[in-house]
Amino acid sequence: MAKPKTSPRGELQLRQIDDYRWEIPPVGAMRTRGLIFATQEMLPDLRQDQSLQQVANVATLPGIEGPSLAMPDIHWGYGFPIGGVAAFNLEEGVISPGGVGYDINCGVRLLRTKLSRPEITGRVEALVDTLFSNIPSGVGSRRRDLKLTYPTLKEVLRLGAAWAVKQGFGEPDDLAHIEAGGQIPGADPEVISDKALERGRDQLGTLGSGNHFVEIGYVAEIFDPELARALNIFPDQVTVIIHTGSRGLGHQVCDDYIRVMLAAAARYGIELPDRQLCCAPVKSPEGQEYLGAMAAAANFAFANRQLITHWVRETLMQVLRLGPRDLGLDLVYDVAHNMAKIETHTVAGKPKKLCVHRKGATRAFPPGHPDVPRLYQTTGQPVLIPGDMGRYSYLLVGTPQALEETFGSTCHGAGRVMSRQAAIKAARGRSIIQELAGRGIVVRGAGKATIAEEIPEAYKDVEQVVRVVHGAGLSRKVARLHPLGVIKG
Amino acid sequence: MDTAGAGQTKYGIHPFSHTGDAGFRLVAKTLPGVFILAAQALYGVMTDRRRLRARDRREVAVEAPDTASLLVGWLNELLFLFDTTGFMGKEITIQELTPQRLRAALRGEDLNPERHIYKTGVKAATYHHLSVTQTPSGWEATIILDL
Repeated sequence: MAKPKTSPRGELQLRQIDDYRWEIPPVGAMRTRGLIFATQEMLPDLRQDQSLQQVANVATLPGIEGPSLAMPDIHWGYGFPIGGVAAFNLEEGVISPGGVGYDINCGVRLLRTKLSRPEITGRVEALVDTLFSNIPSGVGSRRRDLKLTYPTLKEVLRLGAAWAVKQGFGEPDDLAHIEAGGQIPGADPEVISDKALERGRDQLGTLGSGNHFVEIGYVAEIFDPELARALNIFPDQVTVIIHTGSRGLGHQVCDDYIRVMLAAAARYGIELPDRQLCCAPVKSPEGQEYLGAMAAAANFAFANRQLITHWVRETLMQVLRLGPRDLGLDLVYDVAHNMAKIETHTVAGKPKKLCVHRKGATRAFPPGHPDVPRLYQTTGQPVLIPGDMGRYSYLLVGTPQALEETFGSTCHGAGRVMSRQAAIKAARGRSIIQELAGRGIVVRGAGKATIAEEIPEAYKDVEQVVRVVHGAGLSRKVARLHPLGVIKG
Repeated sequence: MDTAGAGQTKYGIHPFSHTGDAGFRLVAKTLPGVFILAAQALYGVMTDRRRLRARDRREVAVEAPDTASLLVGWLNELLFLFDTTGFMGKEITIQELTPQRLRAALRGEDLNPERHIYKTGVKAATYHHLSVTQTPSGWEATIILDL
């Protein structure tokens, strides 16, 4: 078969399949179709940036299995769109750092408590202030009290959240409630550069900047009472969401391996419609090294969220003057939304190992799946979709439909629609903190501009995004959570 | 700030919109000038540069396959320096710049919450829409930072 020479150009055709599904028929160098989950109303925005082109570009990569997928929160990213999912076979397929992102294992965890909203009335400001002082956030966030030696850091990279539990941060039972048990197998600290190690050694237990946050909220609405009960979720329940990733260590790993892959892609003769799709065959030495490095960075992020949970627990206990049993802060689930994983999926009726890239997308495995913890075998894997600051978040579960259609994947959150500059402009003359306070939400931001940059209008409405994945059958809505207090990076 | 010429973009840092992240078009008379503007744009995202003092000295060396990659590598090296020491450069001197190698000296200080304003963190300089080109009036580059 003649090798396709050119990347797709010109206005891409979109063929509607149903209310929530749109197909980009293969054209030019595309080896497969693009499949986008979205509604008609979302299309004009999609056509405005280059996300559709990026979906088509991913479809040109060798060894791709199934379609080049896009979740409804899709927006343009580096090479792969954010909200993109693509799986590759291990024989001819590739692995690409751009398909994971700079913030390896940026992810989110949901914690529940035994408390109801009225029990923390009047205490939210104190909680937010104390969280703010206990958890470094913002530009250059570092911990003065936890600077790891390299051997210890390498243990963290190998063991992930299990390392944190070993040190007394949380319970062994927590690990069952983290994707991959909080530890990606095959993590190899020896393929992590010294620079990445140096950046990571005092960043464990920090939030970082951008759209990272810790949010205290409550269960505002329950959509599926049976599922909610099975997940130990009740109306008005006080909850905590932690959103952060692998910090400078992950960013450095990504940058290091983009450079490796730029050279490797050329050497392996892989034609790239976009340099940022740089990749290497999964089974190549470069591919295997990146997998090992990525797993190590992912484990750092799992440990990071586990450590931050510890300080969240300490903060709540301290401010509310409660013991751990009365507080009952427990992990519902922790999911990654920037990751490449080796998973077994059914391809042409047979089980096949694939390298599944999810960049700004969340794993959403169904009931009965062997990788879903025992506790969630009847419900399906919990999925947490954080909204933007000041708006709601959603708790969902994975479905068989997702496994069949999207390699068990769903959206990850509300995508941005406004640039940071535009958001700052829109926020001018307004006191965002006052506006949010007026709606009963306390916010503390580490950076001067960050609150303005994160105004709700800057984001797609997460409710719309969730409506698509629910309507398409990729995930089932369980509950909606509202924020009460937020610390922002 | 001198103008590049009628109908041309002024020399300097020109931010442009890119949904979640920070894009910059940098216009200078010389190629080293572009690299200096890039560093200033990077630091400007993270802090108010006016409050930085030129107290301490650091040296940086970067290698890359080509000039555009060198620009990315330069900014990521500055990010590494900031992430590990808190250092931000106020005055920047490019000592050597070939298509594959850069050496620079910076005078600046470590960021301090008591004296400096903390804005937005930067994850990395990316290859997205990356370009470095020579123009009739000098040099122009575009680069996008992942926030």
